[in-house]
Amino acid sequence: MGSDVIVVIVVATALAFDFTNGFHDTANVVATSISTRAMPPRIAVGYAAILNFVGAFVSLEVAATVANDVVDPASIGLLSIFAGLVGAIAWNLMTWYFGLPSSSSHALIGGIVGAVLVADGPGAIFFDSGILGKVMIPALVAPVLAFAVAGLAILLIYRAVGRMRPTRATRGFRFGQVISGGLLALAHGTNDAQKTMGVITLALVANGTIASSDFHVPDWVVITSATAISVGTYVGGWRIIKTMGSRIHKMDAAQGFAAQGSGAAVILASSHVGFPLSTTQTISGAVIGSGAAKRLSAVRWGVAGNIVVAWILTLPASAAIGAITYVITRAFGTGAAGPIVVSTLILGGAGLLFVRRAQEAARTAAAET
Amino acid sequence: MIAIIDTGDLLEVVWTSILAGVGVTVIYGLALLGLDRAIEFGRAGRGLEAAAYGALGVICSAGVLASLVFAIFVMVDK
Repeated sequence: MGSDVIVVIVVATALAFDFTNGFHDTANVVATSISTRAMPPRIAVGYAAILNFVGAFVSLEVAATVANDVVDPASIGLLSIFAGLVGAIAWNLMTWYFGLPSSSSHALIGGIVGAVLVADGPGAIFFDSGILGKVMIPALVAPVLAFAVAGLAILLIYRAVGRMRPTRATRGFRFGQVISGGLLALAHGTNDAQKTMGVITLALVANGTIASSDFHVPDWVVITSATAISVGTYVGGWRIIKTMGSRIHKMDAAQGFAAQGSGAAVILASSHVGFPLSTTQTISGAVIGSGAAKRLSAVRWGVAGNIVVAWILTLPASAAIGAITYVITRAFGTGAAGPIVVSTLILGGAGLLFVRRAQEAARTAAAET
Repeated sequence: MIAIIDTGDLLEVVWTSILAGVGVTVIYGLALLGLDRAIEFGRAGRGLEAAAYGALGVICSAGVLASLVFAIFVMVDK
């Protein structure tokens, strides 16, 4: 009975993480489309929400990878999964509060690794083949590659369309952004919703609801995960959208198209060979590359530097929060009391952050009028 | 390091990303250029140039469409 209560709390926490993932990562897909006026904001996030939902049903391979390649699934317990999810949610909320695009995927992996490290020791973590080979190295390569590809693409695009009438070129690239943004949203749904599906399935295996010899993702897990990420996407993290869309540099429609197209190419090429990577880091690299190639001084390097700091901090910070959460949860024993107390605290903290942010937004709006 | 990550896969990611990212965005730019020039030359009564640029626009548009279908195939096939 006690473990059933815990598994319900873990599933609810995983869906809450999925919601923050959609909420936080909406910026990847729609920021450039909104800033270049390729689509009105509400339509852009609605479009991304629908394609995120569809993308979640496309494939289930990533769900299995998350459940098997980073930590040893045989040794992981429900409390470790819960603590890892809390670490990821807390980091996502903090970076949202400061308007920093950071990786939800790395936050999830970091949180789980931190909690498992404290709970089961380093032997339960696949450091070389999992963390280094599948997380760290792709995390270094993908943004640099996206930066270079977007930079090269925008230089060649400017040469190709330089003699066109600007209004026609802008209209054409805005249309292109609708397509490339849709592709990004689909790729995001395929990758990120499945990470949550993998974690929920891992919890069901740990609880004995699913036999480890019969690893499969139940239909209700697919449907609820797809719904949570698409609702989160629709609600939208407007602060991060602002950072990605206009604070890094003021982009035109051709740059927006180059950034989205290059980002989608890197994500799909990496997915094809099985590297799970962060869509946030990739698109951020592409956005910075499309600005730097036009003019180095066009990029606000201070904002870009903050994003890089958030990239570097995501894994260790979410791991630290995951580890601390596990210690706090475990202090209440192995029953449901710990998860209930921690869930209440994280809900209270999230509510406080939302209220503070709403008050600041209201003050800013009042000052502007 | 080689045992940790497959360098062949890594190189494949690099070259396919450059080919797809730069290739498709530039082909889309050429499609816009072709269609734009075709309209301009058509209005000026220069049929040959209009047809040539129109063909460029149509071929490049077909290339972009094919890339989009391939990208969806890659996602589904993963």
